[in-house]
Amino acid sequence: MIRPLDRKLFRDIGRMKGQMLATAIVMATGLAMMIMARSLILSLETTQERYYFDYRFAGVFCDVKRAPNALRPRLAEIAGVAAVETRVMGKITLDLPGQREPADGLIHSLPEDRPQRLHLLHLRRGRLPSAGSHGEVVVGEAFAQAHGFQPGDTIDGVIYGARQRLKIVGVALSPEYVFEARPGDALPDAKRFGVFWMNERELGSAFELDGAFNNVLVDLAPGGDARAVMAEVDRILQPYGGQVAYLRRDHPSASRLEDEIRILKSLSVAFPAVFLTIAAFMSSSVLTRLVRLQREQIAQLKAFGYSSREVGLHYLKFALVIVGTATLLGGLAGTYLGTNVVQVYHQFFKFPDLRFHPHWAMIGVAFFVSSGAAVVGVLGAVREAVRLPPAEAMRPEPPAQYRASMLERAGLAQFVSTSMRMAFRNIERRPWQAFFTAFGLALATGIPIVPGAMREGIHHILSVQWDRAAREDATLSLREPGSASALAEFEALPGVQLAEPFRSVPARLRFDHRSRRLAVTGLPREAFLKQLLNAREEAVELPPNGLLISAKLAEVLGVQPGEMLRLEVQEGRRPTLEAVVQATITDYTGLSVYMEIDNLRRLMREGDTVSGANLKVDRAQWDRFLAAVKLAPRVAGLTIKDSLRKSFQKTTGDMIGMITTIYFAFAIIVSFGVVYNSARIALSERSRELATLRVVGFTQREVAGVMLGELAILTLLALPAGLFIGSRMAAGIVVMASTESVRMPLVLLPSTFATAVLVVLISSSISFALVSRRIRQLDLLGVLKARD
Amino acid sequence: MQSGALAAAPPPGVSSEGGGEPIFQARELTKVYPSGAGEIRALDGVDLDLFAGELVVLLGASGSGKSTLLNILGGLDTPTAGQLRYRGLDLAGADEDQLTAYRRDSVGFVFQFYNLIPSLTGLENVALITDIARDPMAPETALELVGLGDRLDHFPSQLSGGQQQRVAIARAIAKRPEVLLCDEPTGALDVKTGIQVLEAIERVNAELGTLTVVITHNAIIADMADRVIHLSDGHIIDLQHNRSRRPASSLAW
Repeated sequence: MIRPLDRKLFRDIGRMKGQMLATAIVMATGLAMMIMARSLILSLETTQERYYFDYRFAGVFCDVKRAPNALRPRLAEIAGVAAVETRVMGKITLDLPGQREPADGLIHSLPEDRPQRLHLLHLRRGRLPSAGSHGEVVVGEAFAQAHGFQPGDTIDGVIYGARQRLKIVGVALSPEYVFEARPGDALPDAKRFGVFWMNERELGSAFELDGAFNNVLVDLAPGGDARAVMAEVDRILQPYGGQVAYLRRDHPSASRLEDEIRILKSLSVAFPAVFLTIAAFMSSSVLTRLVRLQREQIAQLKAFGYSSREVGLHYLKFALVIVGTATLLGGLAGTYLGTNVVQVYHQFFKFPDLRFHPHWAMIGVAFFVSSGAAVVGVLGAVREAVRLPPAEAMRPEPPAQYRASMLERAGLAQFVSTSMRMAFRNIERRPWQAFFTAFGLALATGIPIVPGAMREGIHHILSVQWDRAAREDATLSLREPGSASALAEFEALPGVQLAEPFRSVPARLRFDHRSRRLAVTGLPREAFLKQLLNAREEAVELPPNGLLISAKLAEVLGVQPGEMLRLEVQEGRRPTLEAVVQATITDYTGLSVYMEIDNLRRLMREGDTVSGANLKVDRAQWDRFLAAVKLAPRVAGLTIKDSLRKSFQKTTGDMIGMITTIYFAFAIIVSFGVVYNSARIALSERSRELATLRVVGFTQREVAGVMLGELAILTLLALPAGLFIGSRMAAGIVVMASTESVRMPLVLLPSTFATAVLVVLISSSISFALVSRRIRQLDLLGVLKARD
Repeated sequence: MQSGALAAAPPPGVSSEGGGEPIFQARELTKVYPSGAGEIRALDGVDLDLFAGELVVLLGASGSGKSTLLNILGGLDTPTAGQLRYRGLDLAGADEDQLTAYRRDSVGFVFQFYNLIPSLTGLENVALITDIARDPMAPETALELVGLGDRLDHFPSQLSGGQQQRVAIARAIAKRPEVLLCDEPTGALDVKTGIQVLEAIERVNAELGTLTVVITHNAIIADMADRVIHLSDGHIIDLQHNRSRRPASSLAW
């Protein structure tokens, strides 16, 4: 049996469904964002945690030149260590049929004489290499997918200079390659980079590391002191050419995933909060209007003996219906969007099973947070209505008080038309309503600027960073640092027009207590192919002494130009050097340190050593060049700029496309909803006024014009504010998304602003047109008889 | 009844007042509203002529059809059947745009509850109409005509009921309409202010020669009219000719 008051609820909802729905949809938008982001965080975090735990992802990593297997027990005995795995790991280059460009990858050993302790493989298909087999490999899934490899296929690879036919026996995932990309690359390029596993004995002999290892993985015991363990690992491995041990947060794949989660976390709070504020205000204004219209009904209910509490509860139910609808829609939309975003994540992150887990608790929180906001919004109006003694409430509300607007008081009255005066006075009489309408429109204007800025930022990276800063066609790296003869070899490759050497030295950079592992790159002073850009993106020359470092690295280390940085070199005789940071440079991927090449060689006390070269290649001889590179034994890797650029465009293109769609949809929803709500309330509050205008001979169009005046003023105020808000949001996102792996410049173009303005103007015009059709339905006769 | 004779030969609403062409000519005017299961015949075959410059009072109880008649005369509603001509215009067959133009150019309305725009001052309320009129008088002139030359810049909330109603009259006549329609103009007012409002209407009728139709259920007001039309159940049951009009200032109720 439905109580009569609830029957009234249903019927009233039926009459105001448009406004309630508009409000619920704006609220749902905020909730959808929040639920999507929180659920994605939950999905990524739980999947990552589970994966790292189940497949024994290490906590401490260390590379070493060559350490005997006999050290393994000693490493395992370090206090705080739960498990140790030693392995052979190195570069592999591949000659793939049907792909002109050589691909490369990393190949890892799998133990045969003992169970594998860490970095267990998740086999998708096939099996692990059988004991004593020859040439059997397991290949990483991203690479296998990109090439359609199946167990049973064979590929030709060059390991440590020796060409070998490899038989794929399995396709697998590893927790250390969730982000399966060349270490240091910003984005995966699965066509040209893959990871492989092979039996330890076979790989050991290929790398001339029989009975030895060059890579150590350490799993920390619960409560184990990572610093102490790392120091001990360093101490034990030092005599064998050990580099400095590092933690997960320095691991290329793990840190990349962490960055992603951090970005999601910052997005999951600020944006939804703004949407929910606007939605709370919308529901407040809708319901305040309802309560005002129903003053007499409230008085009657109270006169019949309903308590203030019952009446109050009745109106709060409207708020709950809005919030309930919003939570349902927001939950569905958030889940739908999240499921799609997870699909995009599959391009970047490889998990055995990355599924979208709706964050149910968060949906509950969302319901309570928005109920709270809506209830607070309505409470004032309800309290006001129930406090009135019934007799007083049955009288109409006193006439609205107006006064001359600020503009007129400032003496500008003669410039303002009569209907504009009405508009200004209305705005001043309800400043908060006007403020939130304008704020909503401003927000809607700001939202499309974010994806616009992202698109332009990426375009900027592609054009400025990759055309002006990186002018090379390809970069070749040597397996082992070589002499001037290696450079001569590169110059002799077919089609090579210019070869500029670089020297790359792995080092740990320290400033105060902060440090980062990366490679110090030495470049010729007047390098042409590799330009370093300052903050204004002008080319700068390498100073004869000292370093140029990424602005992001300076930020991470807290170092200023002019200060001294310590370089703990991880190669050769492993000197610890000191060098002054001369200036910072602008780059958008990874962290870089540059030094003049001869200066670096001097510090390393070496001759004309090169690690590789940047090349300019004659396009006409490109195929011959690639074919020759495939046969060059000393080459460990070839990076092709165009291929990187294409992969970058493709992966970011999909992502930006999706973000643009979502943001534009949000902008349209907010501007449509805010205008619809505001116009409906204006229509309701001023129906008598507008009907009077119709009676005295105003056309529908003129009456709409009177109504439009107010919205037009608010829109004009909102647009510049929105462009400002949007710029700040874009800047905020650029800052939030500025990680050590990828960054983005803030690029705001007039066309981005114009698009945002257009989106808002169009969607609010349609919304207004929809409401103004109701002017036709104004009750001209009823309004003349009715009191206010 | 002084006018019993006139109710005979020509239909009750049709007379030869003023001798000229009537401004309005209604024949068999009928308005039927659907109501629940049945229908209400708000007007049931009314014949009526109205002439330039006359002041006509429509008297009747609520539900007599007087408001319906006024609404149809004012172009706010259309009849279900019958004819209604305003000069050359067929009001019975006019479309929405024609009715809007008719209201805009030819009719002034005064309502029981004033219906001023609360966000506009008295002067601006009048100016709102003169802005769109073809041949308006200055808003100040209109307000002086109703005795409000000194309250131009007051907002409705700062004016008494009688003052608001006089602003409404000024708004109605500022465009120099041919017809002024007043729906219970004193209904919400006390006697003293009611008289002031009637004086304003009287003055407008006299000075501008506007055909003025006043609806009321206050029979005393009928004394200031040239003609008094009694309506009941959608019929004109009586039409009364006043030999002389009483000045509004002498009325009392």
